[in-house]
This record gives sequence, C-alpha cells and structure tokens, in this order.
Amino acid sequence: MNDKSDKLITDDGLRLDGRRADEIRPMKIEIGVLSRADGSCYLEWGRNKILVGVFGPREAHPRRSQRADSAVIRYKYNMASFSVEDRARPGPSRRSIEISKVSREAFEPVIMAELFPKTAIDIFVEVLQADAGTRTAAINASSIALADAGIPMKGLITACAFGKVDGQVVLDLNKEEDNYGEADFPVAMTQDGEITLVQMDGHLTPEEIKKGMELVKKGCKEILAIQQAALRKRFETPVEEVSEEKVIEKEAKKEELSAPKTAIIVEEEHEEAREIGAEISEESAEASIIASEVIPDFEEDLEEELEEELEEELEEELGEELEEEFEEELEEELEEEFEEELEKELEEELEKEFEEELEEEFEEELEKEFEEELEEELEEELEEELEEDLEEELEEDLEEELEEDLEEELEEDLEEELEEDLEEELEKDLEEELEEDLEEELEEEEAELEETLSLEKENIEPEAEAEPEVEEEEISTETAEAEEEGEEEKSEGPWKVVKDPSEAGTRGEKDE
Amino acid sequence: MSEIIATLKKDYIYNLMVKEKRQDGRGFKDFRDIKLETNVISKAEGSAKVTLGNTQVLVGVKLQTGTPFPDSQDEGVIITNLELNPIASPEFEPGPPREEAIEMSRVVDRGIRESGAIDIKKLCITVGESVWIVFIDVHILNDDGNIIDASCLAAIAALMTTMVPNEQQGLGENVPLAMKEMPVGVTVAKIGSKLMLDPSLDEEAVCETKLTIVSSSDGSVAGMQKMGSAPLAEEELFEAIDMAIEKAEEIRALYLEGLAKSE
Repeated sequence: MNDKSDKLITDDGLRLDGRRADEIRPMKIEIGVLSRADGSCYLEWGRNKILVGVFGPREAHPRRSQRADSAVIRYKYNMASFSVEDRARPGPSRRSIEISKVSREAFEPVIMAELFPKTAIDIFVEVLQADAGTRTAAINASSIALADAGIPMKGLITACAFGKVDGQVVLDLNKEEDNYGEADFPVAMTQDGEITLVQMDGHLTPEEIKKGMELVKKGCKEILAIQQAALRKRFETPVEEVSEEKVIEKEAKKEELSAPKTAIIVEEEHEEAREIGAEISEESAEASIIASEVIPDFEEDLEEELEEELEEELEEELGEELEEEFEEELEEELEEEFEEELEKELEEELEKEFEEELEEEFEEELEKEFEEELEEELEEELEEELEEDLEEELEEDLEEELEEDLEEELEEDLEEELEEDLEEELEKDLEEELEEDLEEELEEEEAELEETLSLEKENIEPEAEAEPEVEEEEISTETAEAEEEGEEEKSEGPWKVVKDPSEAGTRGEKDE
Repeated sequence: MSEIIATLKKDYIYNLMVKEKRQDGRGFKDFRDIKLETNVISKAEGSAKVTLGNTQVLVGVKLQTGTPFPDSQDEGVIITNLELNPIASPEFEPGPPREEAIEMSRVVDRGIRESGAIDIKKLCITVGESVWIVFIDVHILNDDGNIIDASCLAAIAALMTTMVPNEQQGLGENVPLAMKEMPVGVTVAKIGSKLMLDPSLDEEAVCETKLTIVSSSDGSVAGMQKMGSAPLAEEELFEAIDMAIEKAEEIRALYLEGLAKSE
C-alpha cells in the first residue's frame, strides 16, 4: 500500500506538508456566510472546504419525528460530487449516513435540546472539497454555525483526528497520510475534554491510542482557541463601550435583583396588614350602622327640645335690647365653650381612640409582627409600602371610625353641653330680658351661630388632633393624612349636631 | 413501548449497577452464553450462527466474481451488509436499512477489513479484470441485545469456514478462504459510571453510550465506534479498550482458534 509514496515522514520528523507530528493544518473560519440560514460557517482546514448551515429550532417535519420533551437534532453530512478525485455519486451513501449519525451524537451532549420540545434543529454539512478529516472539519464548523444560530449549548465541540503514519502517531492526517497510513482515529470532545465521538479504523495498540489521545487533546485545544477567536471577532463588541454599559447593566441588575426580594417579603406582611384592615373595616361598618341610626333621632330630638324650650321661654321674656346682648353673649360663650370643650373632647377622644385602637391594633400587631419579625432595613421599606397600602385601607377605615366615634361622642357631649349651656344661659339671661319678638331674631341668630360654629370647628378640629398624630409616629405621615381627612369628615358629625337648632333656618333660606 | 419499559427499569438497573450487579446475575466483564455453529447453510460458501443469550444472528458468506476497484486492481472486494429484519424485534420495520443498521454493518465491515482478516490479495483472479467479491450478509434473527458482537463473531466464523468456489468458475479446486486475522468485536456499555460488557436488551435501552472495539489477536485495535449520545471520559475510553481486548482474546481462544485448526 505504501508503494505510491516512499516516506510520509522525513527523517527529520517533518511530514509531506511540512508539519511536525503534533501540528494541525492551518484552519480558517468565517461566520455568517449564508443569509438564509439561522447560523452558518465556512471552514477551511488544510485543503478541506466545508460549509455548514444551521436551521432552527423550527417545526419538525414529519410530525412523527417530533419529540415531546426535546428538540430533534438532525445532522446531514453530504459530500459534493466534485469534492473528491473520482466523482462521488450524489446523494446519501452508507458512509455519509454513518458520519451523520455519529456527528449528531457528538453534539447531543452539549445542545440544550430540552429547551425546544417538538422542534428540529437541522445541521446541514456540505463538503465542497475533501482532503481527509472531513468529518472532524465538519464538526468544528457545525459547532461554530450552531453558536452563530444562537442555539443554547453547554460548550463548543471540537474535533480532531490522529493516525498512524510510517509507524508513527501523528495528528490531523492529510489525504496522503489517510490513504497510505495505518490508522485513522477521529475524536470529538467537549471543552471539558469529554469524548463525544470516537471512531477508529486501522491498526493501533492501546499504547499508541493513549499517545494519540494526548496529541488529540493538544489539537483540540488549539482548534478551540481558533473557534473562540473567530466567535469573538464576530460577536464581541469593542471593549470601551462594553465596560461602561456593563457597569450600568450590572447596577441595574443588582437593583432589579434586590427589589423583588424585599417586595416578596413585604407582600406577605401586607397580607397581615390587610387582615387587620379588614377587621377594622368590619368594626367600623358596624359602628357606622349604629351611628346612622342614632344621628337622625338625636337631631330630631334636639331640634324639637331646643326649639320648644327656646321658643316658649324666649317668647315670653326676651326683649329687643337683649337680643343684641344675647347674640354677643351667646356667640362668645358658645365660642369659648365649644372651643374648649371641643378641643378637650376631641383631644381626649381622639387620643383615647387612637391610642386604644391604633395602639392596640397597630402597636400590638404591627410592632410585634413588624418589629420582631422584620429587620430594621425592612421596617423602613415595609413602612413605606405599608403606608401606601394602609393609606387606602386606613384612610377608609379611619375615616369611618373617626366619623362614627366622633359622631357618637360629640353627639353625646354636644347634646349635654348644648342643653346645659343653652338652657342655663338662655334661661338665665333670656328669661330675664327676652321679650315676645325673639322668635324671628333667634332664627337669624341661630343661622349665624351655625356659620360661626362651623367655621370655628373647622379651625378647632385640626388642632385637636394634632397630638394624636404626633403620638402615632409609627403610623407615619400617611395615616396622619388619613386622620386629617377623617377629621374633615368628622366635622360633619358635630356639624350636623350644631346645625340642629339652626339647620331648619339655613335649609329654609336656601329652599326659600 | 420498549422506551417505557426502559424508563421503568432504569432505576432497577441503576441500583443493581451501584451494587456491582446485573439483571441476570452476570459480572460486568461476563458475556452471556455464546453458542457458535458453523456451516449451517450449505448453499452458502460459508455460514455461521451465533446465539448470545437469546440474541440470534446468522451470517452467510457468498462469493461472486467481479471487477476490482480502480484503486486496488489486485485486491478482492469485501461487501458487508447487515439487516435488522422485522422478524428479530417488534421494533424493527421493513424498509430501507436504518442508520443503526448501516452503522453496525460498517463497524462489522471495518473490523474485518482493517484487521486484514481476509487476505484480499489472494482473491484476485486476473489483475484489474476479475476478482472475488466476498459478500458478508448478516441476518439478525432475534434481537435480545448486543447484536453487534454476535454479528462480528458470526461474520468472522463464517469467513473462516468459507470455501472459495473455484470449481464453479472452472478455476480448479475449492479452497478455504485465505484468512490472516481473527478480529473480535466487544461492546462496552456505559451505565451511570460503570462499564459493562455484552449489554442485554434492557441494558442497551438504559445505557447512554456504547463503545464497540474490534481487536486483533496481537492485542491491537482494528476498529472502534462510539454509539450513543452520552460523552465518555478519556479514562473510560482506555478502560473500555483494555476490557475489550482482554475479553476478545478469551472469545478468540474459546471459539475461533478451534475453527482455524479444524481447517
């Protein structure tokens, strides 16, 4: 067999193409040479010219070839009829079918086919010119084309063959060495050196195989460097731009990463907070029902009583002159009293209520749960977020509660006060001085009172609730807002009550 | 169906593997019982039937005259064909050979060709005009795992008992086919982290990768093929080669050397 060439390796250890035993032929890689393919690679290795196109993941046809749990990898090795000395018969040969099978199996360990069930990843290899080692050249090119196609892979596959020529183990056989050599041993391996393809024919001892494997590992390392360099050249963006962008991206990623974590924890706490809110809202709902029942009756009663009393007594005793005094006195007294009393009462009530309800509920639950469970960092975040959530819920709940509570208590207090004060003062002052004509004027006075009182209360109430707000530091500014809003609406409670004597007047005026 | 069974049996076989055991009680380096019969088909120039456990393979060798390849004018031609007949397994279907069949036939062919088992120079009748073409047809009759080792053994046994039909062509007396080597193929299956010989059908279904190593009587390797998708570590490759060579020598001594002497 060796008669056609005397020696494949010269005495000084050089091969016919000038290489040493452990050297590979020069390799050239071009990426993205086919516009219609998802990934492509043109590779020249010595005189081998290989073109690879990768398509997919795409729908697998025929359908029965689909796999429910992963993509089907299809590898078609095809030799052009003009690629070899004697024209090759076009179409698949037994050799090309076998090479296709083992090459496909060489890629199966690294292609993450499980990410694309029911699809096919097609690797089409065209050997345009063959000069020994076409299957390894095709695998090297396919690895690049797969990367170009963006197919997720655990790493690149690198292939290289060793053989035996003139009794010597050499790396990467060329055509002469393949034809007249004694063995051919193609190997494909992962970047970690795991063997994914092994074929062999010829005559090799186990020792020669071990020696050859060392050469193959060296060859594959060199080829891997060429592959990586080609990929970098194609896909790497300039370093300067990258560094800045990467820093920003990293920071952004960090933020993204840190934010969701706390958000998840906070959400859990929110649920608890919502439960509390739900309890509160239930209570307030009950209270509002009670309040709604109480207020109309009370208003009516008050109106009736006051009107009757005032009318009767005033009619008899009040005089014109006293009207002015009465007005002044009433205004002053009521102002003072209302101010004082409202302030006190509101303060007390709000303090109590807030302290009791909020402190109990929030301090117990929030403090225990939040303070104990949550760390300091989370507290801030939680508070912020809780505030937001609580805002909504608490605003509603607090408004309702405050309304109710204030209504109830103010009603009671005002009832008493009004009754007492008005009775006493009116009785004392008015009884002595009032005359017959006061009816009309009283109505006017009452109307005026309404206005003044309403104004006063608006002024008074915020002051009254300033203290509770300060005390509820934990509940934060937003609960305070809720309180404020609540107070504004609370004013409706006393408003109604205070209105009562005069309400008829105002309404009458408008209606009239 | 077989895939489902394999999935269910996978744990079982894995657990056995961990305990250094196999389904049928063999050691990792044990073959199932081999039974070799030669000259089972009188119409063929050479034939052999191998039963390996329940796996049955029949090889018939036919010789015809033909023209040599242009690049080897003075050499006979070897054509190996392996068919996965539907009779052998419910998994096999009629039709053109699947890639597994093509791969196996090429591995069997490679072992015989590359080891130089047949002295092909002696198959030349007239240089450049007429040579003997040796058709090695491997028939799988029953697939119970490791068809390839059974086929390798049956093929070499059939070749060793082949008579060249010179009388038929008016070329003188029939002579035995000139043999130079006795290649034996041994398949090493990798299951988990263990290597074992002669995988049964279930073990083949479970194993991720197989390595068939055809070795010659001088302890060298003539052909090798990795089949299956799992990678193989370098040490495993060397271990498999050593296991295969050792086992091949054993099989050669037990079954083939007797055939050579009987000629």
